[in-house]
Amino acid sequence: MKLQNILFFVLMVWSPLSFAQQDPCTFTISGKVLNANTNEPIPFAVVKVEGAEKYATADEDGDFKIDGLCSKNNTLIISSLGYANSTIDYKEGSATQFYLQQDVTGLDEVTIEAERLKEVGTESISQVVLDQAEIKNIPTQSLGTALSTIQGVTFASVGNNVQLPVIHGLSGNRILVLNNGIKHGFQNWGEEHAPEIDITSASRITLIKGASGVRYGSEALGGAILVESTALDLNTPFYTNLGVSGESNGEGFNTNLKVGSGSENWSYYVNGSFTQIGDRTAPDYNLTNSGKEETALGAGLLHRRDKWKFSLRYSFLDQNLAILRTSFLTSPEAFIRSINADEPVIIEPLSREITEPNQATQHHLAKAEVEWQYAEDAKLTFIGGFQLNQREEFDVRRNADLPIVDLDLVTNDYQLEWKHPEWNGLKGLIGVQYFSQNNDNNPGTFNTPIVPNYNIERFSSFIVEKISKDRNTFEAGLRLDFESNDVRGLEPNNEVFRDQFDFVNVTASLGYVREFENGSFRSNIGSAWRTANPFELFSFGQNRWRLIFGLLRFQEVDGEPNTDNVERFDDSDVQPERGYKFINEFKINKNSNQHVVTVYSNYIENYIFDRPITVTTTVRGPSLAFIYDQADALFLGADYNWRNDWTKTISTDLGFSYLWSRNIGDDEALINQPPISTSLSVQWDQGEFLGLSSSILKLRSSYTFEQFQAPRTVPLESLVDGTADVTLDSEIFDVLDPPEGFFLLDLSWNFEWKNFSGGIAAQNLLNTSYRSYLNDLRYFADEPGRNIILSLNYQFQAKKNKN
Amino acid sequence: MKTIEQIKNLRFIALLFMAVAVVSCSDDDEAPEEENLPEVFTNVTLIFTPTGGGTAITAEAEDPDGEGLDDLEVKDEINLAANTMYTLTFNVENRLDPDADLNAEILDEDNEHQIFFAFTNDAFTSPMGDGNLGAGNADDDINYSDMDEDGNPVGLVSSWTTGAAQTGASFQVNLQHQPGAKTADSDSTDGDTDFNLTFVLNIQ
Repeated sequence: MKLQNILFFVLMVWSPLSFAQQDPCTFTISGKVLNANTNEPIPFAVVKVEGAEKYATADEDGDFKIDGLCSKNNTLIISSLGYANSTIDYKEGSATQFYLQQDVTGLDEVTIEAERLKEVGTESISQVVLDQAEIKNIPTQSLGTALSTIQGVTFASVGNNVQLPVIHGLSGNRILVLNNGIKHGFQNWGEEHAPEIDITSASRITLIKGASGVRYGSEALGGAILVESTALDLNTPFYTNLGVSGESNGEGFNTNLKVGSGSENWSYYVNGSFTQIGDRTAPDYNLTNSGKEETALGAGLLHRRDKWKFSLRYSFLDQNLAILRTSFLTSPEAFIRSINADEPVIIEPLSREITEPNQATQHHLAKAEVEWQYAEDAKLTFIGGFQLNQREEFDVRRNADLPIVDLDLVTNDYQLEWKHPEWNGLKGLIGVQYFSQNNDNNPGTFNTPIVPNYNIERFSSFIVEKISKDRNTFEAGLRLDFESNDVRGLEPNNEVFRDQFDFVNVTASLGYVREFENGSFRSNIGSAWRTANPFELFSFGQNRWRLIFGLLRFQEVDGEPNTDNVERFDDSDVQPERGYKFINEFKINKNSNQHVVTVYSNYIENYIFDRPITVTTTVRGPSLAFIYDQADALFLGADYNWRNDWTKTISTDLGFSYLWSRNIGDDEALINQPPISTSLSVQWDQGEFLGLSSSILKLRSSYTFEQFQAPRTVPLESLVDGTADVTLDSEIFDVLDPPEGFFLLDLSWNFEWKNFSGGIAAQNLLNTSYRSYLNDLRYFADEPGRNIILSLNYQFQAKKNKN
Repeated sequence: MKTIEQIKNLRFIALLFMAVAVVSCSDDDEAPEEENLPEVFTNVTLIFTPTGGGTAITAEAEDPDGEGLDDLEVKDEINLAANTMYTLTFNVENRLDPDADLNAEILDEDNEHQIFFAFTNDAFTSPMGDGNLGAGNADDDINYSDMDEDGNPVGLVSSWTTGAAQTGASFQVNLQHQPGAKTADSDSTDGDTDFNLTFVLNIQ
């Protein structure tokens, strides 16, 4: 990998289209990039001006423009996927058509990642790409934290290890996570389970902020996350990437290795990664039992035959995630004590050992794909995916050595997609999908299964079409799903209950893109729907420090919830969630400034959420009970990002996210919604510096406000002693005030030198004590304190055969 | 030639998908297997046996649906004779799962369990005071008759001598589960609660 490309990459992400400088740099180059063999335009080629830190990406028709150049004469370096780099001395007035030769030798891994065609059906939706360089700096982070630097995105968590991405206030199974094109099949109920994805092997992660249900799956009410692992490129000389990192908080380390190669018709990669982190520390105390251990393996193989491409991918992840000891309290007395105390009730000396409570999960994913590019602009793709997710959760209890949750989840996906030839200006994709999921409880937990056994089968078909005229693009999509559910669960007295229910649903989306001279406007309205998952329907009883009851698990009797019976779905008033998200993005590049504004509204009918409802007495004493509930909810928000290149080396980034959300059906607050946040980062990108080929220093400050839209607080004590009278119809409440706002400072320095790259990063530099409203552990403990991370990567690539 | 190529391609596709399809036919309609449920307590009975002989006096608390929303019911008051010595023992059950033997479970792990008591001040002549419940009160007077292997009290068996007659006094029993936390210094605020019940105590 060329070092300048990493630099380039970082720049690309921050300012894809902004290249201008102050006067007198007013020269402009525009032109078209063409395939030297066919004379066809090459879309999305990257054009770099040597020595000027200027870049541009050609559009779909190969056209590009770079302005703000300080000299008439420049050296251009043009690169694109599948083509040899071309270096051209450009003089004012010379030809504006630039030809690239098809590359039969090597591809530069990073260059080709730069900008790619947005997936069909999502072009009109605001999206953000995280690349390998950004992921690699902190290899121990989770998918949730990696994405949380994006405006409008945050994460909900249970401690430091279980972190779920939240897009515009929605999380869990309202965000589709696609792992190499396959819907990640995991136990995504509640806030307790994060997707089992190894991000060190990801080559890029795309975050789609709108409802992208038509294209990917109807549950994508909030958005979608596309994770792509290592690319299977042909004509790539043998390469090796080795990375190591260590971090101070938790004395954690990660080591990862990737090797691969591509010949004319074959390509492969193998990768592995191991992470171990011990107990972390908050500024004032140890976070007992907060470590993790993670092993990841992956491999891929591609074979090309003429117009056919066959590929196989496999990935495996083994995780053991500790959950803060002090958060597992079965008695409300201990819970009251815990939330009234400044420090956790249980603090022990630091340890690397992971004990109960913890979650041990193994996830296997195997995928086969056949692509038949039967014509220049048409292809058929068939994808088959198999996933096995084995989850064991351990609680502090009398039988602590037995898992209290022991599940095997098998997911199968088949997709056939036809990218049809252009027809009357229409370009599009037509597909059919079959999805099935089978969840089984393994016996021997000594506990009533918290999630029943279930089978879900879904047949879907979709069509997305777009038409472009001048600078306008229109997009439309339609999807049809048939879903059947078959559920078998246990009552607390071991009696079996069964239920069966079916759905038919239509999802649609409509979008518009307008490109301007120096910016773009995107607008998309999309619908999505989701059925309540089995946990939301059927959960019963103890779940860490609370009792939680699914929608079908309680009925209203005399205004009080009653859990004597399990209701049948068809007899209940439970309705699928239906969401309508309208999202608009304005992007403006002016001089050295880039502004991106995203404005959205999301109306969700029958939004499903859990909330505290009452205190019930059991032999343990009074317990706090939660129920799942449905209401019509409205989410309105905006994300704003302003980047400015003050000089060639200094740039700033200002970000702001605002979300207003409310249960408009009952005119009351929603619980666990992300607060307003803002961030400012300053970056000093020196390029070559003290013998290093790249040096980037970045300081990021962020302020997260207190959640002022949180529900009222009813102290647990007053629920226990009966002074607070609550019924099913009472206004929503929480048992603790939302935490105060907090200011955080992060500092990082990254360098490249020969075949090495690496960096030092400090998270929470000021060692601030704070609690996050979206962390379930906010009731019990502070977030971790300062963490210093050192990382070093070595990249080796064999010489190309030619050039 | 073209046909041969296509056949080769088809063979490739078949191979690829055989690998994926092998495990994919797992449709079933099996319900989860029955579980032993020793974690759930539905009934706790206090048994006061007069040491001088006579009929045992029992008082029961019941939560028929375990973790469900039905409230616990303290069914009996404790009616003891004045100035009499009793041995207190417990019977803990999960009537939702008759197979679970909770008494044995607790006894097996007696080094992780302790029962704490609180009662109306001086209701008993032995132990004196108001019990050992609450932070820092673990050393207060209770006549434990059983010890775990570490020499710490358990409380499944204890002895009590009533004082003068009174009605409407209270008697609270709290079984704490303290894995890794039960020591000579631990008290009722350590660990988690298995049961915590308050009865009305009448001494006649």
